[in-house]
Amino acid sequence: MLLDYDRLGWLKVALLAFTALAAAFLLLPVIFIVLLSFGSSRWLAFPPPGWTLRWYQELFADPSWIEAALTSARIATTTAILAVVIGLLASFALVRGQFRGREVLRGLLLTPMVLPVVVFAIAIYAFFLRLGLGGTTIGFVIAHTVLALPFAMIPIATALEGFDKSIEDAAIVCGASPLEAKLRITLPSIRIGVFSAAIFSFLASWDEVVVAIFMASPTLQTLPVKIWGSLRSDLTPVIAAASSLLVALTLALMIVTALLRRKLQT
Amino acid sequence: MSVEAKQGIAPLRIPAGLGGLLPALILIGLFFVVPVLALLLRSVTDPAPGLQNYAALLGDVTYARVFFNTFLVALVVTIVTVLVAFPVAWMLAIMPATLASVLFGIIILSMWTNLLTRTYAWMVLLQRTGVINRTLMGAGIIDQPLPLINNLTGVTIGMVYIMLPFMILPLVGTLRAIDPMTLRAAALCGASPLAAFRRILLPLSLPGIAAGGLMVFVMSLGYFVTPALLGGTSNMMLAEMIAQMIQSLLNWGLGSAAAFILLVVTMALYALQLRLVGVRRSTGGA
Repeated sequence: MLLDYDRLGWLKVALLAFTALAAAFLLLPVIFIVLLSFGSSRWLAFPPPGWTLRWYQELFADPSWIEAALTSARIATTTAILAVVIGLLASFALVRGQFRGREVLRGLLLTPMVLPVVVFAIAIYAFFLRLGLGGTTIGFVIAHTVLALPFAMIPIATALEGFDKSIEDAAIVCGASPLEAKLRITLPSIRIGVFSAAIFSFLASWDEVVVAIFMASPTLQTLPVKIWGSLRSDLTPVIAAASSLLVALTLALMIVTALLRRKLQT
Repeated sequence: MSVEAKQGIAPLRIPAGLGGLLPALILIGLFFVVPVLALLLRSVTDPAPGLQNYAALLGDVTYARVFFNTFLVALVVTIVTVLVAFPVAWMLAIMPATLASVLFGIIILSMWTNLLTRTYAWMVLLQRTGVINRTLMGAGIIDQPLPLINNLTGVTIGMVYIMLPFMILPLVGTLRAIDPMTLRAAALCGASPLAAFRRILLPLSLPGIAAGGLMVFVMSLGYFVTPALLGGTSNMMLAEMIAQMIQSLLNWGLGSAAAFILLVVTMALYALQLRLVGVRRSTGGA
């Protein structure tokens, strides 16, 4: 009976209460930050003594925040495009190929997701210092693409495994070139996977802190580096304002994802 | 390749053959494998060839404490995360779809929200004059602010918050895969709810708990951001120590050696997890 929702009795009440508490634990810090960003207390008193837009004004008046956000957007977009393209090619080879050592290669390409980021961060930092790529946009994009690749490959490979290859073969039999069949038949069929891959690899770069801290230079810093620097000096409400905008962006991404999924699935 | 001949249809040259793997292999080989190996090499060559960096790390009480702290926090975080995640996943697996989608929305929102944003929220909530201390003092439960931040308590709270979705989501899958009939049968045969839980539900969800728990443990071992911001200087964790050795002390030899130890432990536990669940399930099928 333990897996019958309607027959749990008093246990259901207890478990639901616990679940509600856990949901509050997950949700409240996010709401709290958004409320604080509109609060008038510089020392983040809660509940706020009054409401203000001052922190948002300070945020937008400071060009270094805007610049950091634009840098992040640029790097994350490039990373997402590269990770999806490389991930697509690799997924086709891994899912369709029958060569020896396939599982080993699959594991190797997914390792960046498992290795503690700090190890990769100092490794690539040392490497780029030698190559002269430290503190450059190119260096950022390469390092972030390494980290984003597993996040791109997983949804694409999953989608590809669920796709019936005989449909693609049928297109080829009907006269389509192999490439044409892939672009016009297979790719549209796995678009949900490709779309998820794009979102995940964008977020993997956009939110990435550790590599960015090592890689950043005084002239090139991403949004997380900027937040990190501010957090270490003081807990100004301007960070709450920046954070709230990031929460808004997350919500927007979630809504877009949900809508697109619904649209693509029908 | 004989593979293409076997397919019988025109060979798919560009993406389907091994060629498609080339960009990924070049990227990972050149910018992941080579740098990491170079770092490991440095741990036995910098400043002089030999194992003196490892000897220094393993023979010093200060470093031993960092290792101990790291394992302790990872262990506590894993246990708390499992204990909180299990009932939530249980409910998520069986509750009506509408309610479940609201809950999933909350979990995804928390998971996708910027890591620094979430850590910042906890820094504000947990500080001496923060909401939690004020509320508790206002209610007369405590008369001194509790030290919730700059110590392992703060790190544990912040880490459980971050790890919870990683434990809940896979567990829901495990629990949904269990046939409710087995539990109905147990009840029919006279098993009390407690017995049914202990002897059926728990054992059947153990693979999910083990896999998720191991993942949380591994992630916690190497975590940098949350411990660095919510922890104190006197009880540092491993990832933070590695970063500090490189960034502030410029001691590449020692930092690389510590990184190598972290890498070996992580990879060993990861291999264990793969044995438990298999490559496909642990990585979501990729």
